[in-house]
Amino acid sequence: MKISKRQLFFFLACLAPLGKLVVLPTALAAYSKNDLLLPMLAQYLLQAAVVFCALLLAKRGLGLYELAAQTFGKIVAKILDTVLCAFLFYASLLPILEQRLFVQNIFYDTLPSLLAFAPFFLFAAYLMSKPLASFGRTWDILAPIAIFSLAGVLILSVGSADYAALLPTGAAGGSGFLRGTMSAFPWFFDGVFLLALLGKFNYEKGMAWQGALCYLAGGAAVLFFLATFYGIFQETAVNQLFAFAQTSKYFSGITVLGRIDYIFIIALSMALAFYCLLPAQAGVDLLLHAYGKPRYLPTILAVVLALVYFTVTSLADFRFEAVLKTVSGPLVWIFPVFTVALPPLCLLLRGKRREIS
Amino acid sequence: MRTVPMKLYVILAAVVLFTFFSNDFGLVDIQKTAIILAVGLDKQENGFSVTAQIAVPKGTDRTTGGTSSVEIEAEGDTVSACIANIYAKTGWVPKFVFCDLIVIGAEAAKEDVFSYLNYFTRNKYMNDSCMLAVCEGKAQELVSSASAIDDASSLAIGKLFSDASVGSGRVMPVTLKDFSIAYYGASGSGYLPFVRAKTQEGSQSSGSGSSGSSGSGGQSGGAGTNEKVYTADETALFSGGKMVGLLPEELTFVFSLLHGQVKSGNLDAPEGNADSTITVLKDKGGVSLSMKGAPKATLSVEITARLCCKSVSSDVEGTAKEEISKELLESVGTVLKERLSALWDLAKESGCDLFGLKKSLFRSSLKKYAEWKDSLLGTVSPEFRVKVTSVN
Repeated sequence: MKISKRQLFFFLACLAPLGKLVVLPTALAAYSKNDLLLPMLAQYLLQAAVVFCALLLAKRGLGLYELAAQTFGKIVAKILDTVLCAFLFYASLLPILEQRLFVQNIFYDTLPSLLAFAPFFLFAAYLMSKPLASFGRTWDILAPIAIFSLAGVLILSVGSADYAALLPTGAAGGSGFLRGTMSAFPWFFDGVFLLALLGKFNYEKGMAWQGALCYLAGGAAVLFFLATFYGIFQETAVNQLFAFAQTSKYFSGITVLGRIDYIFIIALSMALAFYCLLPAQAGVDLLLHAYGKPRYLPTILAVVLALVYFTVTSLADFRFEAVLKTVSGPLVWIFPVFTVALPPLCLLLRGKRREIS
Repeated sequence: MRTVPMKLYVILAAVVLFTFFSNDFGLVDIQKTAIILAVGLDKQENGFSVTAQIAVPKGTDRTTGGTSSVEIEAEGDTVSACIANIYAKTGWVPKFVFCDLIVIGAEAAKEDVFSYLNYFTRNKYMNDSCMLAVCEGKAQELVSSASAIDDASSLAIGKLFSDASVGSGRVMPVTLKDFSIAYYGASGSGYLPFVRAKTQEGSQSSGSGSSGSSGSGGQSGGAGTNEKVYTADETALFSGGKMVGLLPEELTFVFSLLHGQVKSGNLDAPEGNADSTITVLKDKGGVSLSMKGAPKATLSVEITARLCCKSVSSDVEGTAKEEISKELLESVGTVLKERLSALWDLAKESGCDLFGLKKSLFRSSLKKYAEWKDSLLGTVSPEFRVKVTSVN
């Protein structure tokens, strides 16, 4: 089963932006104040280049493991896959934690028990046990949901925003820009995720730059959302976690119609439930690719991993701020190593183009 | 064999989706929950006092609809401690999702009110679109008072902040979110409506259970309580979170005109030996700051109005005319200029950046903001532009 070009572009343009709409806007506002658009723009330009490199690598028609094996041998390839897989498991942690807190805070009006979110991990175990290439169809379904929801939230939000609040540019200075850009790395793993997809889709002419453009188009939507978010909350934006559930509630019609924006918020959170598990799925897929696929291994691995995520997110339930500060603070260097440096370096791998009949 | 796991997955997915997207699963026991309609915040000698107006079910003998309420007061070292004390007194879990009004007592407003509002800006379950107001005297007395026009005082006060009231230019409502933005922004200044309660002449509550008492938290009301009507046509000015001035009714109106939000407000002006009232139909107001040379602020009001009434009788043909005479137009212009000038002086004296001049400067030039932020309000000179146009 292969992922089609359309499905891949749906992922890049419609699903990849979703993970940047929950906690990242608040984090950026904390670091860069009204300049929050600049770090996001810088990240998107950087990551679009990474997406371009990763898609260029797909020209060779081989998976990452085969490429590494042909260049360095199987042992190094296994090590590379294992290390990348460990990173992807780590990269999934923050989005899953975000998703958990989002559901607990937005869909409940008191603090629910830990078990209220537990079924999510059954869902996670199921998703992670499935081969990654089978998710193209899921993206076909989720992309329209994501577009519909984000457009809905934006339409309800724009009227409440004072976009002049984004002025003046450069108020946070160079340090604010740098801190914002660095702290945003944990939310940008889309380029390196494409490495796990290598060999699961066929390269077509112009796909690399078209993919990068799709990614930038999604980025433009995120930037617009970010501008709207800051335009609504201005100096208090730092206090508004779960951004995409907050902006639309000031729509004047809501006093008459009720929280109709929840239709969009729930739809977006459903799409997010798939998105936040993508790195973990990719990690499982890479591991199976490197070490073979005994019959029950995917299921066992997925269940164990889901249990680990359940335990870790339960432990981190009241320590989200500390986790966020650690992941986007002292440990932030881990992300650029994998998400920025690795994909271009992979272009150096030797590998023969597979003959496709 | 392969279909069995698939069915299992489908069932699991259904369970997951149901659990994931359902709300609360009965986690909230409504019998043990206090739906707070309004909160009154007061200063105590050694801390804070919070009065919560809690919605309670009406008795079955009541045939009309509406909301009944009980007021509970608690004291503590922080607002959070007060809320916890309310919980301890009643056993009801306080819920702020439906809280639409926070009233701050006049004494409390003399301090940085964000020491009171801190709890509400942090509370994730708080509705930040709720209205804020300052009141004469103690907020506890206002929140606990019996309204002459509604079941609960908060509902009556809430009516003062309706879109229609805003359109009349008599009130300048502010939400918790907007007041917080003003407080934390470059201006550090804001404003809130100032609520006064007046006893309705010759009226006493019917004992419908619409009000409760403080302290013990019992639901009392009953005959003998004076019913109140409320006004919010004055505006309290804030700088650094402290109340520093009070705009009277006529200046609140002109401030509304500057905001461009008056759509059916009335304004009185002399016309010859009599007084006339005009109705503002269209309002385009604004404040701009120019830093070319000496700092200059331009306050402009541009209104289209019609004649509403006169204090003297007129012939029948005259009553059909909506057009404003040239003399009245000039008179209205003069009145507005005088009031704009008075508004400017009052804001300047109080040290409140009422017109957001610092914010404008911050947005236009960081360099000039750094240079002028401390001296701008004292040095900027005003210019008033008023244009009054009659219908027809």
